[in-house]
Parts: sequence; structure tokens; C-alpha cells
Amino acid sequence: MEKHEVQEKVKKVVANVLKLDPDEVVDDANFIFDLGADSMQSLELVAAFEEEFDIEMDEDKALAIQTVSDAVTFIASYL
Amino acid sequence: MKDFKANLNKLFYPDSIAVVGTNKVVGTVPHDILRNILDADFNGVVYPVSPKERFVAGIKAYRYVTDIPDPVDLAILVFPSSVIHLALEQCGQIGIKAVIIISAGFKEVGGDGIEREKKVKEIADKYGMSIIGPNCLGVINTDARSKINASFARRMPEEGSIGFLSQSGALCTAVLDYAYAKHIGFSKFISFGNKADVTEIDLLYYLKDDPKTKVILMYLEEVTDGPGLMKAAQAVIKAGKPVLILKSGRTSEGASAAASHTGSMAGSDDVCDAAFRQARIIRCQDIDEMFNIAIAFAYQPIPKSKKIAIITNAGGPGVLTTDAAIHDGLELAKFSEETTAVLKKNLPKTANINNPVDVIGDARADRYNVALSAAFKDPDVDGVFVILTPQSMTEIDLIAREVAKVSHHYRKPVYTSFMGEADVAQGIDVLQRNKIPHYTLPESMCRAFATVYQFGIEQKEQPKKVKIFEDVDDKIVAEIINDVKSSGKQYLTEDLSDKVLKAYGLPVVRADVASSPEEAVKIAETIGYPVVMKVVSNEIIHKSEAGGVILNISSADDVKTSYKTILKNAGIYDPNAQIKGILIEQMIPEGEEVILGLKRDNSFGPVIMFGLGGIYVEVFKDVSFRVAPLNVTDVEHMIAETKSSAILQGIRGKKPRDMEKLIECILRLSQLAVNHPDIKELDINPLIVREKGLGAFVADARIML
Repeated sequence: MEKHEVQEKVKKVVANVLKLDPDEVVDDANFIFDLGADSMQSLELVAAFEEEFDIEMDEDKALAIQTVSDAVTFIASYL
Repeated sequence: MKDFKANLNKLFYPDSIAVVGTNKVVGTVPHDILRNILDADFNGVVYPVSPKERFVAGIKAYRYVTDIPDPVDLAILVFPSSVIHLALEQCGQIGIKAVIIISAGFKEVGGDGIEREKKVKEIADKYGMSIIGPNCLGVINTDARSKINASFARRMPEEGSIGFLSQSGALCTAVLDYAYAKHIGFSKFISFGNKADVTEIDLLYYLKDDPKTKVILMYLEEVTDGPGLMKAAQAVIKAGKPVLILKSGRTSEGASAAASHTGSMAGSDDVCDAAFRQARIIRCQDIDEMFNIAIAFAYQPIPKSKKIAIITNAGGPGVLTTDAAIHDGLELAKFSEETTAVLKKNLPKTANINNPVDVIGDARADRYNVALSAAFKDPDVDGVFVILTPQSMTEIDLIAREVAKVSHHYRKPVYTSFMGEADVAQGIDVLQRNKIPHYTLPESMCRAFATVYQFGIEQKEQPKKVKIFEDVDDKIVAEIINDVKSSGKQYLTEDLSDKVLKAYGLPVVRADVASSPEEAVKIAETIGYPVVMKVVSNEIIHKSEAGGVILNISSADDVKTSYKTILKNAGIYDPNAQIKGILIEQMIPEGEEVILGLKRDNSFGPVIMFGLGGIYVEVFKDVSFRVAPLNVTDVEHMIAETKSSAILQGIRGKKPRDMEKLIECILRLSQLAVNHPDIKELDINPLIVREKGLGAFVADARIML
């Protein structure tokens, strides 16, 4: 999968889980500080990414990801 | 440059507050903090900051603190720790100088948390911000000018004159609940958590100048800057505000690894105890004791003397109170004839009209009124204790009101103990609402009074300056220490230890080696008679056995004869022994053996020890400690604290010892400790203290680097 495809999918998942306008989900947005994710939503995001990309991520490492662009890089490493 | 005072003024008296990271979820810290600020009726503007919410609690919310169009004085950060640095950076960018970080997940969790806390401190310093926390409950200011409850405590306390500082957030909520039940009010209530930036020391200085605060209480888990804490507390106390500290962690960890007597006896808690005493900090054992003393300071004037009157409706409790009062050093006032006449006229015949006054079990409010008024008016009385036990006819509420009403007219302290629980509860409530100190037990009442009285006495004492001895030779000491350090050794040999002490004017036994009878006489006459002579030879270890030691030599002729005798004896004992000379040593005279010591404490720095000396020093542990540098008063207090002080004053026909010289020795040791931080531990054991005017001698000493 191309990186821009991963990027688009990640943004779509984030917008869905956090109930945001997709335009708000910019590359350097911080899940907590900019997008307002709480701890429950962080878990939901990890689960949604795994489902979307059909992968199984290291949960501790996944939860430590802070920004959209870091999530793209992290997910890409599983593909 | 950080202006702590201006920043803390913004923190306690902000015109506007931003709650950064708040949300709409009731029962969570980010939400409840905002709710508490609103409920406390804050005198200013509140801005919720939330990345997702457009409003919280009916107030327009901002996505970022930088979006707020008006100036913000105080920011309260409630985001998770992983993004606190982002929020803090924005606060810095818009010039916010006061910040409270409530969030946990910093130093206290180790690992990444330590790094996160470092980052917080870096940002605070970069923008000149002052930060309370992280990992704290928050801050409360009851002053009507501000009225802030920037905490997640369940309730806002009453306004009062007690300032409370706590390292533990959880303890704060327990204290607030405890205080609420007893109508104890606070001026400022601060949970300072990890103290990444603002420390308890900064807060002490702030509360020193806070007109709303009369007494300061603190709960501490660790002392990171002992000398700084002592200095701040001394400044606060000098300003007339007592400092009460409840310090947890009474175990003496680390003491077992020490190499000296002093090291093994100076456990961290003993040192903390001594340092607090030295700074006149009142150390409390538990929350009860802390508030028992605090309300006495907060509600009542400091007594002019320790003469008290006891008024009771029960004989037994009256005796118990008398016992406790005498035990705590208080005195029963002697009533004037006028007082006893009034009491005699107005109380039943069966009443005791002397102190303690027993108004008898069936006393109603009128009898208490008579006794209270008479006691307050008596010129010998400087404090009144009111005891009550609930009989069927006792007018508990009315008596409580009478105490409040009558005492209001006099500038003498009144303390009460309504003994019991259920029946007296309403009366106690009346007392507490009227700011009359109440104690469940008379013993606690007496202890509180004695503590307040002692504080008043010490307030009048003029602190003495630290004496600096000019006749010391720091160059020699530094040279010796450097030589020993560069040789990789940690201990100074006996002769080097003696040289260090001698360079500091400590009375080391004088000695020198002679290689002829004539030289021996010359040395003996320089030292002064009587002297001891000892053979010096690497081959002769057991000198006495070899006939190589002669004591108590008092004349030049005896020195010459002894010289020859020792040489002859040594030759017989070991014909092959190489004799390097004969040591001429000052004869150590009779005296009391005491120990002086020095140890470096991790929190407080150089600690000086004094106590009963000799080989049983660790068995009897009759020792006291103080943090260097010491002044004369510190030394006098540390000597007086030990049982040995009675021996030194002269008992069973013995003459008093040379206290002046002893004090001088301790002061010189204190100066050595301050000027040479490479000395880690030092024992002078024993120091022989002779009769008054005859001085003292160091008989043995060890120095460790």
C-alpha cells in the first residue's frame, strides 16, 4: 500500500472514532492535545486501525503514538 | 528572570483563570476542577480550554489557550502528562506566569515521567513562569478578594488564618474533611505535589508576607533542601508566624552503613528532628496534634506566662488536667484574695474555690460564668482551662456560649475540654464555631498551651550570631585532606587527624619525640608537667609490656632517669629492636568523657553531634544533633538536651566542668565542618572535659573523607 493511501485511511479512521470533520485531522495533529482524544478513545483508535489495516499492533507502542503522521509511519511498518 | 512573588500573587489572586484540558464528563478531574472554581464563586473570569468542546458548564470553551482574546493570569493544566509540555509551551507564549499542573505521570512514576518533569521545569524557566505541581490536588484561596477553589477537593473550606501546605494531595482531602467537621478555616490551602518548580520553601516565604495567614502547617515526605527549609522557616517564625510540620518517614535508613559512632547514631530522622528544633519548627506527630496546636495559635493570644487557672465541674478530670499541666511545665496560678472572695461568695460551700476551681457536678452556666470571670480578672492568671463533663443537669450549650461570651472580654487565652462524645457534641460545635480551642483530652490541651507559650518565649530571644574563629589554619587542613585524597585513602591516620584538629584550635594532646635525655627535658618543659614517656619503635608493639611506658613524670630529673630506664627496658625486651626515640606526651588529666562528632546528611548537610562519650556511646545513645553552622545558643541547647549535661554541671560533690571550653570546641568543630566539606565523618571520642577553668583535651579522634 502506498504511503498516501495509508495516510488517507488513518485520517478517515481518526475522524470517525473521534467524531471530527476530516479536515481537522491534519498530519501534525496531536491526538490528545489537538483532537481531544481521551484514554478510552485512544484504545478505540488502536482497535479501529487494526481492523482497517487488518494488522495486530504492539498495544503499548501503539498507545504511545501521539500524532497522525507518527501513526501513519507506525502502521506502515506493519504492512 | 523569575519573579516568584509576582507570579504567586497571580496564582493566588488572579483576575482570570484558564482551565486547560477540561471536559464535560462529571466526576473526572478535568471537569470537577472547573466546576469547583465556578461553585466557589471566583471573583474573576474563567476560560475553559478544550480541544473538542465548544462550551463546558455553559461557558464558551476555547480550543487552545492561545485563542483566548484576553489576558490570562493563571492556567490550570489538567491534560494527560504526555501533552502537558504542549499546553505549557502555549501558556508561556501568551505570557501566563502562574500555572498549576494537576496531572500525575511525572517524576513519581519514574522512567519517561522524570524526563517529562525536566521538560516542564525547562519551559517554566524559559518563560519565567512559576508552577505548582505536577501531581497535586491544586490550590485553594479562601480570601474573599479572590475565592478560588482550583482543586478537585470535594468542598471549599471556611475562611481562616491557617495556611496549609502539603506534598501529598490525598492527605489534603482528608485534612479538608477533618477541618470541615471542626469548623477550622484556612487562609491558603496548597497541594504542591512533585514541587518541580515552586517548592515548599518558596511557599513559606510567600505565606510569611500573606496578611491572611497567622500560622503555617505543612505535610512533608522528603526534605530536599534542609538548610533552605530551615532558613525560610526561621524567617517566617521571626515574622511571628509559627511553622508546624508533620514529616513522614521516621525510619533511620542509611545509618547502618556509617563508619563512625556519629554516622551510626545520626539517622536521617534524628537529624531532621534536631534541625527542626534548631529552626524552631514545631514538629508534630500526627494530624490531631498538628491541628490541636494550630487552633491554639490561630484562635487565641500567646499567653504572657505559664500560669493557668483550671475550672472544672468534676474532680477527677481537674486532677488529670493539673497533672498534665505540671508535666508540660505549666503552673497553677495563685488566686488573689479578691478572686477567692468572689468565688466563695458565689459558689456553693462544697465547691473548691482554689485553683483548680471545682464548680461541682450540678453546676449550670451561671457558676461557670462566675468562675470564668473571676479567673480572667485575676492578675496571676494568664490562661484559663475550662473542663466540663456532662451530668444530667449540665447546660452544655449554654456553658459553651458562656465561655465564648466571657472570654471575648479578655486578652487572655481560653482553652476547653468538654469530655465525652455524644452528649457534649453540640457544646463543642458552639465552641468551634466561636473559635474557642477545644480538645477531646485535657492532656492535648496542656501540650498545645505549653507549645504556644514556649513559642512566645523563644520569640523574645535574640538570635546569636555564628562566631568565626580567626586563629584556624585552613591551609594546613586543605593540604592534609588533598594529600590523603590523592593517595586514594578515605581515613586520616591518628597523627594527621590530630594535625587537622590542632589547626582548628581543638585541644589535641601535645607530644613530640626526643632522641636524647636533654631533648626530652626540653620537650617536657615546653609541654608542661606532668608528662608520659613512651618508647617509639616499630618492633615494640606492646609498649607497656616491654616496660616502655612511664606515666606521671613531674620533673626534669625524672625525665632524664625515665629516658634511660625506658631505653634499658626496651633493650632487654628486644635487643634487636630499633629505637627511633622516646615520645614525650602531655599526661591526660582526669575529666568527664564526652563525644563530639560530625556527619554529612543528604538533606541538611553538616551535622554536629554531642553526647556522653566513651566506649558505651552507642549503647546509651545520650546524644544530640544540630546542623552547622552553630551559634552559642544552638550549642547550649544541644548540651542541655542530653542527660550528660547534669554530669557536666557537677553532681555528687564533683565540681562543674569547663563548659566554656566545651562550647568553644563544638563551635570550632562546626566551623571545620562548614569550611571543609570533604570531611564526611569525624569522631572526637573522648573529649576529656576538665574542671571549670582547666580546659578540655582530645584523647582520641578519627576523620573520614
